[in-house]
Amino acid sequence: MQETIFSYMDPAPPCASENNILTGLTVAIQPNLSVRGWPAQAGSRALEGFTAIEDATVVERLRQAGATIKGAIYMSELGLGLTGNTGADALKNNKADIVLITDNLGESRVSACAAGVFGFKPSYGIVSRFGLIGLIPSMECCGILAKKLADVSRVMSVIAGNDNRDLSMPDFGPDFGPESGFEFESGLKLPDFSRVFEAKKPARSCGVIKECLEIMEKDEQSAYEAAISKLAKRGIQPIEVSLEDFNMVRTAHNIIGAVEASSSAGKYDSVRYGHRAAGSKNWNEMYLNSRAESFGMPIKSYLFQGAYFQHENYNAFVDAARIRRRLSAGLDQALENADFIMLPTIRKAIDPFTADTVNEIYDSFPWTPIANITGHPAITLPNMLTCKDMDLGMQIIGPRFKDANILSLSAQLKDQA
Amino acid sequence: MAYEAVIGLEIHVQLNCTSKMFCDCPNRPGDDPNTNICPICLWLPGAVPMFSMETLEKATLACLGLNCEIQPQSTFDQKVYYYPDLPKGFQLSQHHMPLAKGGYVEIIDENKKPVKLRLHHVHMEEDVAKLVHETEGRTPISLVDFNRAGTPLIEIVTEPCIRNPHDAMEFLKTLRREIRYTGSAECSMEQGTMRCDANISLRPEGSDELNTKVEIKNMNSLHHVGDAIAYEIKRQTESLNNGEPIVLHTRLWNPEKHITTVMRAKSEGPCVPDPAVSQIVVTDEWLKKIAARLPEMSSRKINRFVTQYGLMHDEAVQMSSEIELSAYFEAVIKNGSAPRTAASWISTQLIPAMKEHNYDFKALPVTPAQFAGLINMLEKDEINSNSVRAVLEKLFETDQTPEEIVEQFGFRQVSDMDALESIVKQVIEENPSAVENYKNGNKKSMGFMIGQSMKLSKGKANPKRLQEIFKQKITNS
Repeated sequence: MQETIFSYMDPAPPCASENNILTGLTVAIQPNLSVRGWPAQAGSRALEGFTAIEDATVVERLRQAGATIKGAIYMSELGLGLTGNTGADALKNNKADIVLITDNLGESRVSACAAGVFGFKPSYGIVSRFGLIGLIPSMECCGILAKKLADVSRVMSVIAGNDNRDLSMPDFGPDFGPESGFEFESGLKLPDFSRVFEAKKPARSCGVIKECLEIMEKDEQSAYEAAISKLAKRGIQPIEVSLEDFNMVRTAHNIIGAVEASSSAGKYDSVRYGHRAAGSKNWNEMYLNSRAESFGMPIKSYLFQGAYFQHENYNAFVDAARIRRRLSAGLDQALENADFIMLPTIRKAIDPFTADTVNEIYDSFPWTPIANITGHPAITLPNMLTCKDMDLGMQIIGPRFKDANILSLSAQLKDQA
Repeated sequence: MAYEAVIGLEIHVQLNCTSKMFCDCPNRPGDDPNTNICPICLWLPGAVPMFSMETLEKATLACLGLNCEIQPQSTFDQKVYYYPDLPKGFQLSQHHMPLAKGGYVEIIDENKKPVKLRLHHVHMEEDVAKLVHETEGRTPISLVDFNRAGTPLIEIVTEPCIRNPHDAMEFLKTLRREIRYTGSAECSMEQGTMRCDANISLRPEGSDELNTKVEIKNMNSLHHVGDAIAYEIKRQTESLNNGEPIVLHTRLWNPEKHITTVMRAKSEGPCVPDPAVSQIVVTDEWLKKIAARLPEMSSRKINRFVTQYGLMHDEAVQMSSEIELSAYFEAVIKNGSAPRTAASWISTQLIPAMKEHNYDFKALPVTPAQFAGLINMLEKDEINSNSVRAVLEKLFETDQTPEEIVEQFGFRQVSDMDALESIVKQVIEENPSAVENYKNGNKKSMGFMIGQSMKLSKGKANPKRLQEIFKQKITNS
């Protein structure tokens, strides 16, 4: 049943190098990640017939490390939400060891939850976006889904780190360890993913965002609290943290996301590639008709929202940007007191794979967009937060650019579970 | 009612960087269409912009040359609009946090007073693609050349502090000179490397209100700017006198008909922060390094030439109009020429000859030493001014000294009294009516007689001495 999972399969995968760190690992990607010569339609008719002409940095590095990029799954239009996404199926059916899903508002974590696997969204800026046909440039990250946590960290050890083709990445120095005494100009060190499982420091505290409880259903809340007390029994004390703007995450994400999406999708004008409507009298009509015929409803409304905030209500965008900064600072501060923040990943009653309006998409991502807004790394751990046999996916969020720490904590939590 | 014009200018200057702003494609205007392109400047899916340090350096140099304050932090915004010359639906520009604020350009205004015209800010911006409209043939088509897409520009925005066409033109001349001095741009309005739009409004003389403005575009030379502003002031004055209100709109200058006409209304797109190009942080240390690359700017050089060399202001302006020219001028002085003489011969002889031979100062084959030698011979009356151009022509072709050329080609001035006297004698004999006219007070006749004498001497006679001899002979006859 491969054709229902893969939109494209590499007819002749290049020979993987032997004895390399990822030798033998099979990877499925979304068709929004460029692989030279592959169709890259990003789930949209606006890119009909477009073939990638360069490899994305992520693809290049994975192949160099011996991984086999097997093919591309199906994805939602331009990667907003998970409607029609087959990444979870690829893992459930053992079609790939790793699936890469672009995380705009939680797609990688939510689909991992559906597949019962690990889903990791790295810190914004630690993995290159070069070659990613994205939608929300300030939030999108290369999310990693894997059955084994070790595979997540192996992949991170290969794809994370400086790429001068992506300006949004800070300059990282390598991590020589605290005893080396070596300091870098940027002060930022690339985490040493090879040492993820040599955890030195056991987790002591788990941050609980007070405001998130307010928007939980009753049974979701009891499942969440049960998970907290399980952690407490293992010596991980819950610490209540307050993020005043938590209930604004959705609105802020929606406004900023829509504005950025509107600009990002501005290039889809049907001039150089993609579907072009027939019979237009002039270029303006051609743009309008082609875009009208190319985009599906959720993307149309999302882009329309973005254009509205750009043209008619810029102040709302400014407010959203301010809230974003406060959220980011608030989360940083909370993470100074707690080792990690814990949240569920999905809602009990909403299916993210069938959402077909912007509202339904946001409804199905209640707990994940905060990490996209702030850029913090977040991971979903399977089977640790269940509500009446349904896995709500324990999501833990760690300090920015300490991606190895959050993976290391995940390993501890899983081992002890 | 008497009105006063309030004029603000917006000037786009193409930086002469070797590469584009967000990719490393060459920035070479004039190459074959669509040869300097890549996925970034075509904005193909998956492309991510880079940022060229050269752009930042040259933009910063230009801003420093205009006395601006470089901002420690600046960011890029997206100017959103849809047009076929824009492959991504927005133009990367700096709107909220520009590279530089303030600054000024000092000019001599219409009333001959020095005045500082203030700048509001200077920001960086990418240029858009060029549309080529093919109207001939069966079906008219529009072609897009992406070579220019993503090439670096700076936009200089003045305060609304200009009051008349003269000052606007002086401002542009000075701005062009100063930016050329920094070496970051060529600033040719004719070649399109400098483009100027003007915002013009009127107000009752003496008031300080700011009224609805009209924007003028399509002025492709300095004179267009002056003419278009003058026309627009006249047009708006007539409108106001007829009781018609001024409405905000854009007009195009028509240089053939000498009028401005209404341009199709263009909706001004919004400006939103760009999430892809990172914030630019300028450190003091870096700024010092860039500032150290700044030459002595022309405004200072002009003052120095006046005080140090005793040039008149106009002469000083001319000798400073290009950095290479000013260096040449000073080198000629170092080789022993008197400054004002040097300035005069450079502007009246050297520069016209260079234009004829298509030379600029960078490639000029006549060395300052050669030119100083030429002036020196002239000062010593060894040659006359008629021969200067002829010697100069030879200097363009050979490495010989002017002395050698004068000797070899016989340009030496005839100052020998006997030789001159015999020429004068011959002219007087052959032109009795001219002599008569001169006696009757027609001074022009002297010029005619000297001209005849020069012809006889094949241009080598010393005209000053000739005149003395003529006067003496005619008075004594």
